[in-house]
Amino acid sequence: MTNIQFGFTVFEKCSHCQTVRTYFSTQDTWDEYREGPCLWTIVENAQTFKFDLQCTSCNHVESFADLLGLLYCTGCLPDCQVEMMRKEYATKKTWILVAFGFLPEAKSQPIPERKLRMLTDHFNQRRDTSRSTIKIVWFDQIKNLSLCRGEFIHDVGMLSLETPEERKPLF
Amino acid sequence: MTTKDLIESAGLTPLTRFEPRDVDGAIVSDMLSDVMASAKSGNLWITVQTHKNVVPAANLVDVSAIVITSGKKVPQDTLDLANQHGIAILWTPLSSFELVGKLYVLGLVAK
Repeated sequence: MTNIQFGFTVFEKCSHCQTVRTYFSTQDTWDEYREGPCLWTIVENAQTFKFDLQCTSCNHVESFADLLGLLYCTGCLPDCQVEMMRKEYATKKTWILVAFGFLPEAKSQPIPERKLRMLTDHFNQRRDTSRSTIKIVWFDQIKNLSLCRGEFIHDVGMLSLETPEERKPLF
Repeated sequence: MTTKDLIESAGLTPLTRFEPRDVDGAIVSDMLSDVMASAKSGNLWITVQTHKNVVPAANLVDVSAIVITSGKKVPQDTLDLANQHGIAILWTPLSSFELVGKLYVLGLVAK
């Protein structure tokens, strides 16, 4: 892992067109703003980091600037492909994690399968795989994004001593 | 040193079911992003964070156990998720500072 940069993942929603979009920011921002007919409001702002991966043999650096984050399945939709995979792979002690790119671009320009494999390999190579493994899949496997209650592995409610409440679907 | 050794020698209370494993150094952090970026397989993760998101983060980087310090109460959904995946959650009334001092004296080091 190289080029690590800490910052914030911002989820914002337009109250006019209901579109959700996401981006990485080095600033902790909660400001509402207008952009043409759209009024953008921050839905969630979580501390996170971005990084690239570097090959230790040839020093090639693969950019992961297009990776928003990883989400774990909470089994909210029984007929969702991710939930079905989660159950299937649980018997092999493999955790399914869902990779997200930044919206809306990621819907039309998914992170290539090659890079998801690279990410999966990265996390598996730094763990004791005799105990369990990780498998990372793309978020288009989620049946209904607007109903998904999966949890992003990022920092929410860091300034509160209270445990954050269960989150509503973000999309 | 194993998680079992640490439970006995540091007086930690296990809150979940898990198989003992070797402990290799420790990371002290209350930020998941920091742990995902910096933790190494086998590290003991010392934190006051009790949200259930600590479980997938711990699993992602393969820490040997999560130790909740300062006597913080751990929500049941966090324990349930950890039990489901065999992730060790240990508990202590000591602060992170006090626990680190104790572990240092006990000889916990990174290989």
